[in-house]
Formats: sequence, C-alpha cells, structure tokens
Amino acid sequence: MKIMNCPLNGPRNISEFVYGGEVKQMPDPASCTDKEWAEYVFYHNNGTGVVREWWLHAPSGYWFIAERHRVSGEVSRTYDPSELDQSEFFAAIPAVPEEANS
Amino acid sequence: MMTDSMTAVRPEQQLARNGLYRKIADAEFVATAESAIAASFSADDSSAQSRCALTDMTPVVRGGFRGKASADHLQALGLPIPEKPNQALTTDKGETVLRLSNTEYWLLGSVTDFGQTVADVRSQAMPAADCYPLFCNDSHAWLTLSGEHCAAVMAKLCGVDMRAEVFPSGSIAQTSVARINAIVVSHSVGGKAVFSLLFDTGYHAYMWDVLLDASSEFGGVAAGVTALMVD
Repeated sequence: MKIMNCPLNGPRNISEFVYGGEVKQMPDPASCTDKEWAEYVFYHNNGTGVVREWWLHAPSGYWFIAERHRVSGEVSRTYDPSELDQSEFFAAIPAVPEEANS
Repeated sequence: MMTDSMTAVRPEQQLARNGLYRKIADAEFVATAESAIAASFSADDSSAQSRCALTDMTPVVRGGFRGKASADHLQALGLPIPEKPNQALTTDKGETVLRLSNTEYWLLGSVTDFGQTVADVRSQAMPAADCYPLFCNDSHAWLTLSGEHCAAVMAKLCGVDMRAEVFPSGSIAQTSVARINAIVVSHSVGGKAVFSLLFDTGYHAYMWDVLLDASSEFGGVAAGVTALMVD
C-alpha cells in the first residue's frame, strides 16, 4: 500500500486519506462573472508537474496541503496550511531539477 | 466480583440502554449514572483475561472541548494538558486527557467513579468564546483491550505499530482499525495498561465482534470492568 505522511499523525496508509482538490483562489462570488465562477467550481488544470493539493486525513478530520507530482503521483511534501502565508499560498512551486523527477 | 459501591441492575431498567446488552447477556451489570455497565461475566477466567481481555467502557462518561481557549479552560479546572497533539495524560484519580489536535481535547472518565468527575467538568460554565463542547459521549463508543497479547491483536487490524517500545503509554493514534476510523490510546485504566478504542457508536456491536474474533487466536475473552480494577 502507498504511504502518505500526515503532518499531524505521521505516516499512514493512503486508504485513510481523501483527495480535496487543487489549492486555488476563490473569486469573489459577489462580483465575479459566471464564467469565472464556473472555472473555479468545475474546471481543473490538466497540466503536469508538481501541484499543491488539499488532502484530508479522515480518521482525525485533519485537512492539510500536499505537493504532488501529477505524472508520477509522488508526494514530495506535506504540511499544515498555517505554514504558508497568504502570498505564498497560490504562488508557483519552485521548480524541481529534472533528474529529481525522473 | 463486585465491590460494595456497585449496585447490580438489569440493563433494560436503566434510562440509557447499554448498546451491547443482548450480546453480553451472561454479564453481571452494575448501574452507572444513566446506564448499566458489565462488571463481570459468569464464565470469568483470570488467566484468559491476562492473555487478552476486551471490556466495554461505553457507559463511562466522556467529554471533549475544541477551540483556542479550551486548554486554558481545562487547566483552570485542574486537569493536565498534554504537550503535543496525539499525546495523553492520566490524572491521579484516573481520568485521561487526550490531545487530538492543537486545539481539541477529550476527557475519558475514570472507571472507579464511572466518569462522574468528567460529568462535573462538563457541567462547569464555559469560556464566552473559543471553547466549544464536543459530544463524544454520544457520538463515540469506547472499548478497551488489555493483556499481554493486545498489541498482537491490534497488529491484525490496523497499520500502525502498537508494540510497547514504539507506542508507549501516553501515545495516541488516529487511524483506521478494522476499516473503521478510530482513535487508539495507550494508557492505564484502573491501574491496568490498556488500549482504548474510540469509534463511531454505530459500529459498537461490529467492533465488539471483530475484536473478540481477532483476540480468540490468542485465547482472549470478554471481561467486565472489575477485571481492570487492580488493587
């Protein structure tokens, strides 16, 4: 079984975790256009590379962020959302050297 | 074996029905504040219970608090606060304080007073903000596993290593046990080292059967709360 490291509970079987979607900024629902709202709710980026995602550790009800490579599925980092400040939250993840991805 | 302070009752007579009373019909029940708890079984065998014993502690009172002010609230009531999440501390009187996250605390009542002290804590006035009660007394069932083989029994049911050298007394694991989300605490109840399992009440009877089945390989049996009371 795959093992993921929960920042609160430590390494656990992947079956204890629930995927919560990519970390993305919510447009202001009062002022954004319908298209912007639909993009936020329904459309997902289908790229490659490392992305920030929300994950839930179900037995403890704990939400955290994982940085995962969308091709290999490898999780490089997991951390509590409080570790990132607002400006870092939606910023691009620093590129990882090619050999580290292969 | 019953102590003098215990009153024998039939579980059907109590306000809150013991969730397992049909399954453990051969138990001798005693009264708690609202319900009835199995004190002993007609076929009690202390050597089997020292191998592995499963005890239902659900009628013992529990409580929980969440929020930034909850640690201060509990400290003001004289309860110890574990330093980090997933750690537990036991008071002199036998209550256990669980720290489940940075701001969430649960209290497990003592087997000697069936949790009356925790019931008193729950009835105290709460801080005006940042401290909210959790109703784990109603939402969660509580079973304990004791005896020399209990870590081996848990190894059959869950992915976390619970041998004493890696999961010492005072450790908590929030994980999946027999495919059910559960909180497992290593601590002592009534002077005996146990694993406490807290999980959704809907799985009370299921988990009782699963743990009895898993412990039967090691000769484990059901036990009443008097088996946990070490003089």
